Amino acid sequence: MKKYDVVIIGGGHNGLVCAAYLARAGKRVLVLERRSRVGGAALSEEVFPGFRFSVFSYVVSLLRPEIIRELELPRHGLHILPLESTLTPLREGGKAGDYLAQWNDHDRNRRELARHSLRDAEAYDEFGLELHQMARLIKPILAVAPPDPASLHPRELLDLARLARMFARIEKKKFNTLWKLLTMSSADYLDTWFETEALKATKSASGIIGTMLGPRSPGTAYVLLHHYMGELDGVFRAWGFAKGGNGSVSAAIASAARGFGAEIRTSAPVEKVWVENARAKGVVLEGGEEVRAHTVVSGADPRRTFLGLVGEKHLPGEFVESIRRFKFRGASAKVNLALGEAPNFTCMPGPGPHLRGAVSISPSVAYLEQAYDDAKYGEISRRPYMDIVIPSMLDPAMAPPGKHVMSIFVQYAPYRLNGGWTDARREALGDAVIDTLAEYAPNIRSALLHRQVVTPADIERVVGLSEGNIFQGELSLQQMFFLRPAPAWSRYRTPVEGLWQCGSGTHPGGGVMGASGRNAALALLGERA
Amino acid sequence: MSFHAVVIGCGADSLVAAHLLARAGRQVLVIEERPAAAQDFGWVPPQIVAELDLALQIQAPDPWATALLGDGGRLELWRDMRRTCESLKRFSERDAQRWPEFCRRMAALARVFEALYTEPPAEPLSLRLALRVRGLGREGMTDLLRVLPMSVAELLDDWFECDALKGALGAMGILNIRQGPRSGGTAFRFLHHHVGSPAGVFRPPRSNVSSLLRQRPGIYVNPSGVARIRIRGGRADGVVLDNGDEIGAPMVISGVDPCRSLLELADAAWLDPELARAIGNIRCHGVAARISFDASMQGNTVLAPSLDYLERAYDEVKYGRVSRAPYLEAHPAPQGVEVHFQYVPQQGNGDLAATVRRLLPGVEDAQARVLYPGDLQREEGWPQGQPYHAELALDQALWMRPLPELAQYQTPIDGLWLCGPATHPGGGIAGASGYNCARAILKEKR
Repeated sequence: MKKYDVVIIGGGHNGLVCAAYLARAGKRVLVLERRSRVGGAALSEEVFPGFRFSVFSYVVSLLRPEIIRELELPRHGLHILPLESTLTPLREGGKAGDYLAQWNDHDRNRRELARHSLRDAEAYDEFGLELHQMARLIKPILAVAPPDPASLHPRELLDLARLARMFARIEKKKFNTLWKLLTMSSADYLDTWFETEALKATKSASGIIGTMLGPRSPGTAYVLLHHYMGELDGVFRAWGFAKGGNGSVSAAIASAARGFGAEIRTSAPVEKVWVENARAKGVVLEGGEEVRAHTVVSGADPRRTFLGLVGEKHLPGEFVESIRRFKFRGASAKVNLALGEAPNFTCMPGPGPHLRGAVSISPSVAYLEQAYDDAKYGEISRRPYMDIVIPSMLDPAMAPPGKHVMSIFVQYAPYRLNGGWTDARREALGDAVIDTLAEYAPNIRSALLHRQVVTPADIERVVGLSEGNIFQGELSLQQMFFLRPAPAWSRYRTPVEGLWQCGSGTHPGGGVMGASGRNAALALLGERA
Repeated sequence: MSFHAVVIGCGADSLVAAHLLARAGRQVLVIEERPAAAQDFGWVPPQIVAELDLALQIQAPDPWATALLGDGGRLELWRDMRRTCESLKRFSERDAQRWPEFCRRMAALARVFEALYTEPPAEPLSLRLALRVRGLGREGMTDLLRVLPMSVAELLDDWFECDALKGALGAMGILNIRQGPRSGGTAFRFLHHHVGSPAGVFRPPRSNVSSLLRQRPGIYVNPSGVARIRIRGGRADGVVLDNGDEIGAPMVISGVDPCRSLLELADAAWLDPELARAIGNIRCHGVAARISFDASMQGNTVLAPSLDYLERAYDEVKYGRVSRAPYLEAHPAPQGVEVHFQYVPQQGNGDLAATVRRLLPGVEDAQARVLYPGDLQREEGWPQGQPYHAELALDQALWMRPLPELAQYQTPIDGLWLCGPATHPGGGIAGASGYNCARAILKEKR
């Protein structure tokens, strides 16, 4: 039996990133993927003949630039096409009305904002600067393994002191702003800046993504900042698509990993982590095959890893309790449409650059709150928040000539739906999305050729993300940094000797970022990130 | 007659500050804009009681809460933990078992806040704060860091299954804030309202600290309104009263809210425009109406039968409506029964008293007086009707209360200090802000 240095469970983007870094350092690495291809939730698939979709995650922006650089991903086929704008169509008195557009072009953006509010146009640059500064402050934290503040271990204390020194160097004023972003609601934060309702709503929407919270709930301002981090470093100045869909992100990382000598096996579902005398010896595949390895790294989320693959009997009770408490509460769904023609928005008719950007259905903060109110009592939002992109506009290879693919991120669709998810409920969600969209782009019904609805229950079943949470666990303050996923176990290690974790359920988590995979690999190699 | 200091306002904080300065030998004049409250809400730190040698009358009802259930039943929560366990057993054996451990863990966290609240706010990265937190040990420290940003619903769901218990406890997370029990940061507010109470008691006491201090000799009191704070050459040097009288003093201590203190009574022109904007942005939504009934009642009665009930009550006010099924809390007051009715918008015309009569036994036929937040602003001087003067939320707490620039009680205008509930530790604690402020002043002058 061949023995590996490291076997990695799960070929999602974090598992692949981790594999690439470990292989680069000379380790014999094996990645085991349950499905027939790698990618996890970063996956492209030809769902309907001729129409390719990024079935789950659909935009790129957070992928750490150092990963792109160090793994030379462009050489492995990664090509990012930037999104140019965000359009927020509005309704007035029950009819389609005005719009708010945000353009990448600074002057054009300013003119458009000034049309709604001169004050907001003035404040916008300062707002952008503040978030930019905050993102810069957070950036170094993304790349550290969070020390345990309760530990007395010299190494942890040293790291803690180093971290404290880093924070102490931050100007007091900036530190306080950061604290506000960590503790405020995105709506309250935006209220201190702007008055245009559509602007506040569209900005605050990035604070609720993937989270079962409304824009008025404290904690959402951090998620807003988290989504701003992609606009850093001059690598991507904005959000973008990967050419060929998000599957090509995974494909590029996989190719890099293979290039460094990592082995990747698909259709190889792991049944359990093989633990002997409180030490991980390898894994056992479904069907009984045993794979020995010196170290096992799990890219699955904490619940699946510990309560599923490892099993409670190998873990301390307190740790099991923490993992049980770790919140998932999937809140989002995905609707993928194959269209015979481009959508025609009443507020901005015909083709145009706005179709090469995102369209955000978020006319007001109250609209988002109402969507949340439905979901918090276990119902699908009657009028959901939607973030819409049309990848075929930038990447024509995604759809047959003249036709289009539309990718709609939908919130809220609670995992814990009253009565549970059924086929009928899935279709009801699809109908709510189409009905809402048709209010802004009436031709959508006639243009519609096929529709795929992916509920949180589907995400859990297909991708294996518990409760369909796209971040492998909510990005709320009590589940971040040294508490992610459990106190004292935030440094990618686990209570089982030789078992490590590298998924989004660890710090910093969330989005197609790859930082967890990279940090885990560097921690395993004993290097400082 | 010349004074060393003029104190504006007659809340517990203003009076504590005035007496502490007087005791240090200063001539202090208190401008009483409205009569002192007959009853104060919140813990009075023992340091204040000891230093001013107060013979406080504290109301500590037992049971500390009687929670009404939807079906006419009630859950009684007693000061004696074992007795509460007996009550809980009727609803959930498991919750009864967990109650003592929960009380112990929460009390340990509250002890940290007790220490932090009776001194000026510690800087976030200071050794002082770090040592206090580490002093909790692993369990307490992890609890603290986890609990602070949480929603009170998550915290209580972790521990208990009985809706009535969770509702009665969860109410302390949302008291006087425009948030629901599922909003982040409400677990911190739950702890804030536990500070000073013995383990197992989750309602702040009421006392007569204001009226006691008001009657006590040692300070001068002038019942009058303040028109403005006089500022010369960037220094506060007295106040101008409503009737035009001017009173000079080298120091002015304001117990009214920062927005009125700095932007109306003083002059925004003396402030950095960025700070002035930030002061205008201090959140202080009032969310509760006060309804006084001409009736009598024993103990503290709570209507908050579940966390979902509270959350639904909150839903309505998000869109500017009165909660159809509100969170109610009734307690005996010097003039009858006082009912806290949450949530309501600033002003409204709904018949709140009728809703209370329907939901709460014992006030059916009593005369009622309803005060919306807008009325409370007029009567009590609470900005927008918010009794804590600035919403108590994590971004407006500790060294951020009400703003980092004002958190150490000093303002950018020389000689002008703040001591009201908008400063650390804030509302729900009676007199601690005034205590910290006076000590900061005395330290400065030494």
